[in-house]
Amino acid sequence: MEAPPVTVMPVTGGTINMMEYLLQGSVLDQALESLLHRLRGLCDNMEPETFTDHELVYLLKGQQGNPFILRARRSLSHPTAPWHLRYLGQSEVGDKSRHALVRNCVDVAASHSLPEFLNEMGFRMDHEFVSNGHIFRKGAMKIVVSKLSRILVPGNTENTEHLSLSYLVELSVLAPAGQDTVSEDMRSFAEQLKPLVHLEKIDPSKQRH
Amino acid sequence: MGVTCVCQVPVAEGKSVQQTVDMLHKKLEQLGAVKQGSFCVDCETYHATGNSSSQPSKLLYVMHNSETPLSCLALFEGGPCLIADANFDVLMVKLKSHFQNAKGHKVESRGSRYRYCDFLIKVGTVTMSSSARGISVEVEYCPCVVPGDCWNLMKEFMQSFLGPSVPELPSVFAAKPEGLFAPADCVDTMTQYLELFNKLRKLQIPGSNVR
Amino acid sequence: MADVVNVGVNLDAFSHAISGIQALRSSVSRVFEFLKDGMKNRETLEGREKQFISEFQENLQAVNRDLNELERLSGLVGRPSESHPLHNSGLLSLDPVQDKTPLYSQLLQAYKWSNKLQYHASLASSLLNQQSLKRSANQMGASAKRRPKVQPSTLVLPPQYVDDVISRIGRLFPDMTIELFRPNGTSAVLLVTLGKVLKAIVVMRSLFIDRTIVRGFNENVYNEDGKLDIWTKSQYQVFQKVTDHATTALLHYQLPQMPDVVVRSFMVRVIGHQSNLIALCRCLSISDPFVSPSQTWLRSYIKLFQSSCQRCGRFLQDGLPPTWRDFRTLEAFHDTCRM
Repeated sequence: MEAPPVTVMPVTGGTINMMEYLLQGSVLDQALESLLHRLRGLCDNMEPETFTDHELVYLLKGQQGNPFILRARRSLSHPTAPWHLRYLGQSEVGDKSRHALVRNCVDVAASHSLPEFLNEMGFRMDHEFVSNGHIFRKGAMKIVVSKLSRILVPGNTENTEHLSLSYLVELSVLAPAGQDTVSEDMRSFAEQLKPLVHLEKIDPSKQRH
Repeated sequence: MGVTCVCQVPVAEGKSVQQTVDMLHKKLEQLGAVKQGSFCVDCETYHATGNSSSQPSKLLYVMHNSETPLSCLALFEGGPCLIADANFDVLMVKLKSHFQNAKGHKVESRGSRYRYCDFLIKVGTVTMSSSARGISVEVEYCPCVVPGDCWNLMKEFMQSFLGPSVPELPSVFAAKPEGLFAPADCVDTMTQYLELFNKLRKLQIPGSNVR
Repeated sequence: MADVVNVGVNLDAFSHAISGIQALRSSVSRVFEFLKDGMKNRETLEGREKQFISEFQENLQAVNRDLNELERLSGLVGRPSESHPLHNSGLLSLDPVQDKTPLYSQLLQAYKWSNKLQYHASLASSLLNQQSLKRSANQMGASAKRRPKVQPSTLVLPPQYVDDVISRIGRLFPDMTIELFRPNGTSAVLLVTLGKVLKAIVVMRSLFIDRTIVRGFNENVYNEDGKLDIWTKSQYQVFQKVTDHATTALLHYQLPQMPDVVVRSFMVRVIGHQSNLIALCRCLSISDPFVSPSQTWLRSYIKLFQSSCQRCGRFLQDGLPPTWRDFRTLEAFHDTCRM
């Protein structure tokens, strides 16, 4: 195939101002099967997808203010897939009319040189973990049921230990800023998962001591 | 992706940049090359602000190439490079408190894209803050992946329309051990563009056009 | 005038005969349609075969019936009149309204062309017989009688033997890797990777080379479904040219009738005794296996981008490097410089 003639100038930018709407909850290991069963029934008909990811959280400390956080994720089950770099902004929880936590979100697919590059930029790895579990979709909604494991020896993803006896359940939607109607859909979906799991908007800032 | 060579072509004596570019176009067309649209390569410069640590702040370059319109390339001079999708630009906006965009430093090369047999030729005008700084010529020989193999062949081709001002083997390739082939991405090409841009940037007295 | 009357009498028989021909044609095409569709899906393999055979027989019987009917009708039609050189079609010249139906003049033109075609075809056929590039097993005519009897056996070599030969060739050269696939049945498909220069796909029929296609090192050789893609030609002109030359080479190296090759091939029993095998070796790797095994034809392309033309001394001509390699000396030439 011949390369197509290039007439389109490169777009500087990408998708600006995407928001992540998020609800979180957790289930005990024993309840996992029934939750998966329920999700299989509720979600889009697709092949059940599982994943095993390694996430590294990087910090860039400036002279003042909070450090800048970036999350780099790579798939352990698909080692050739690109890395996933994610920036998450300050979360907005105060607004009572919204049913979900809202935060700014930038997703970047990147080549495998990412860790080295982040180091060169001045970022330092703060902590890392392995997340494995199942992923479901319903329309624009993404439901991730995952188990988090801590890495015992830094860098060695073989040697891990479960963080808890439960699974993290996350319901999220990516949408341009201002589309608050999606949080409505999320709430009604979360209602359908009750009483298996209670999905709530959880303020991460309040979780810190 | 084949083997690519980017070089600077001096402006012909007594001619303007545009006239020299037109002359190159004419020569290529006489050779039998066919025009296939246009191209653009640009480069933004960022420098780290408030770097408290002892090391001197390095410059971070973010480049785009119309040949790979959905990705961008971020690199430190002589350091590691990262190929990412276009959202990396958005990330740099978020990072503006740590990495400042040197706006006056934006360089780009725009021009026409020609195809001749298995060669791809791009003749571009390098501009920086809306003043033309020079002419770039990129020649790619698509079927070959080992720079050392086809260098003589490319040289002969470049002689046919550039005359005697044919460059030496680009240093990106010279540094590599023989037989190592160009990777499927365009890092080597972009590194050459960056070298060219930096060379042209230094030509002007700093401060005349740069803020 | 007698002719005209004669025709008038048999007109009925004619129309019957024509419909008989139509019936025969449709029943014959039914047979082929049926064969093309293959066996229908049934519960058991046995039932499937039985059903297939019985339906096939039925179809053949229908053909037979139609043929008999036609033969019977042809007796009624009677012999065509011999008086006119064009037989019955000559009667068209009697049509008085020439302007409206210029059938007769068109017919004469068609005859003229058909004669010319036949003449040229026979010339071409005699010329081609001298060159004897025929590679298929079902050769026709006189040459078939002269052909050595070993030929058919090369088509039924055991796959292990082919594997063995290929792996032996593969071991000879470190910069050339040969992978062997058998996508359909026993016929092998080879993927030859030459350094970091090119990839060649060689489709084999036993030890015959059936087809070869050359692509760039950075081009895809597999389809999206992971199978070897043996059809798509290279996107680069240089490799399209090399593919053409490789096809020429495999024709060149595959002359079973060339006495010297045959004699030499018989001398080397180590590699094999079939001339085709030798041809394979030579085309794939060894230019002259008995003289200098280090020199190879396909392998000479490892310097595809590095060598300049031996005649004009330049690298490029019309944007292409020297793509031709001399069969004997392996020197590089541009396509137009090689004569």
